[in-house]
Amino acid sequence: MEILVYGTINSVSLALMGLGFAMVYGISRVPNFAHGALYIVCGFVTWTLFHKIGLPYFISIILSLCVNGVLGILMYRFVLIRVRGMNISEIIASYAIGLAILEGFRFGGFRGMTYTLPVFMEGSLMIGSVPVDFHRLIMMVIGILLVAGLWVFTHHTRIGLALQGMAQDERAALMLGIDSDFMAMLAMGFGAVLAGVAATLILPLGNIVVESGYHVLIMSIAVCIVGGLGSWTGAFFAAFIIGYAQILTVVFIGSHFQMVVALLAIILTLILKPSGLFGQQKELEERV
Amino acid sequence: MLEAHDLMVFYENMIALNNISIKCDESQIVGIFGANSAGKSTLMYSLSGIMLDIRKKELMAGGERITLRGEVIFQSQNIMNLKPSLRAKAGIVLCPERRRLFKESSVLENLRIGGYLATKAQAKHTLEYVMEVYPALQKLKNRLGGFLSGGEQQMVAIGRALMAQPKVLLLDEPLLGLSPLMQATLIKSTKAIQKEKKISIIIAEQYARPVFPIVDYAYILENGAAVMEGTREELMNNPDVKSAYFGVS
Ligand SMILES: Nc1ncnc2c1ncn2[C@@H]1O[C@H](COP(=O)(O)OP(=O)(O)OP(=O)(O)O)[C@@H](O)[C@H]1O
Ligand SMILES: [Mg+2]
Repeated sequence: MEILVYGTINSVSLALMGLGFAMVYGISRVPNFAHGALYIVCGFVTWTLFHKIGLPYFISIILSLCVNGVLGILMYRFVLIRVRGMNISEIIASYAIGLAILEGFRFGGFRGMTYTLPVFMEGSLMIGSVPVDFHRLIMMVIGILLVAGLWVFTHHTRIGLALQGMAQDERAALMLGIDSDFMAMLAMGFGAVLAGVAATLILPLGNIVVESGYHVLIMSIAVCIVGGLGSWTGAFFAAFIIGYAQILTVVFIGSHFQMVVALLAIILTLILKPSGLFGQQKELEERV
Repeated sequence: MLEAHDLMVFYENMIALNNISIKCDESQIVGIFGANSAGKSTLMYSLSGIMLDIRKKELMAGGERITLRGEVIFQSQNIMNLKPSLRAKAGIVLCPERRRLFKESSVLENLRIGGYLATKAQAKHTLEYVMEVYPALQKLKNRLGGFLSGGEQQMVAIGRALMAQPKVLLLDEPLLGLSPLMQATLIKSTKAIQKEKKISIIIAEQYARPVFPIVDYAYILENGAAVMEGTREELMNNPDVKSAYFGVS
């Protein structure tokens, strides 16, 4: 029971971390190595607005999500647009931005265990024999709503449909008047906001530390590679596989091995099925 | 309405289009005929601006160098350097070779993605129109693009292009791999679309025979150069054309 409950919670938080990365890659084919940094930016901006400036918590969150979106858009507009399509440069450029942000925070004095955000709601609930706090439940609910919301957005709005078209065949989308650079920029913005949403939901459960930026980046890459790069559904299922595997390791082997599970998952996927769980279509295309 | 003057395209040092000039007037159907690798697709990509995207992607990936020369004139403006998305917005819409449907989206979604440039009313109206021209799609609305037969895919591809509200519709090998019956149906509907929507259509095909009855004017490409051109009557009575493009099809 414990495994089921905590496995699910862990999986949802992994899915939240990976969602933004998967979206950006799926649409623009840019692996955004600054994803973890955007996650941390949202944490620190919310913290500053809430604790230093004294805005209400909710307003601080909304504002920092906006900051994230703008940051993502600017990152694309001024840097990534020049390297999109150059495989190695994409990674170097986005990782450099991520490093600059994260190490910038460290340099600027955001160190140690003093940075925390309040949970949304105190208290807890018993699920069977397992106590679960309200914040984690809220996180699950919002996570599920977010996925549902994204589904509706990508299937029923003009922009969402255009993003889907571009994710599947950029050039065919271009023939229909869908501007790929504009869409890639939007995708970066959405991806950054999603990183922020993940941060808002997950960070109150612990401290805001620079290191978790790297951790989030590795976890999102793991989720996306195991699920098959470019497949959102794949990323979602992969989050559950890795999420449960991690909890199982914690219970039966030891919590030090959590990270190893993710890395092992990446390596195994790359050896056994390089295109990932849901990459069949792409695999077929490569063979043709 | 849409014209190309002295168009030249090089892939590295290989010349793919050699000084081609073509013209398509308002409400005309123009045929571009040529064997494999004659340069039909290259011409279609140059007209629709996709060539600029291909060139950019090759440059980014460190691939081959593509050079473009000449002019593309649309409604008396030179659009040689206009981005493909803006050309589509201006009304030049390409329905590409091999259809390139969005395979993981349903037929209806494919059409609605095509309606990106359309207003709500236009999209609704065109969607109804597409279903009317291709009644076969009615039952397939929710089928994924990847699970359609070749003929069905082609109908969706043309429908999707129509959703973008073209003034000039470019069709690159729409008949590729289709049965003669399907070919005839598609050609008939293409003529109907031209008449009812009052648009211009440029069709590139290998074999002239199935398309010939509906074209007003045609060009024959060989190795990237237009070796012959004329109205339907002129070409039909030309013995060279007869043997080369009607004998074996
Ligand atoms: N990206 C490219 N790089 C190099 N050469 C190319 C490229 N695309 C086309 N070519 C060459 O340009 C020439 C014209 O090709 P194009 O695709 O325009 O022919 P096509 O008439 O459309 O042929 P098909 O009937 O086979 O579709 C061919 O010799 C082809 O090999
Ligand atoms: Mg071709």
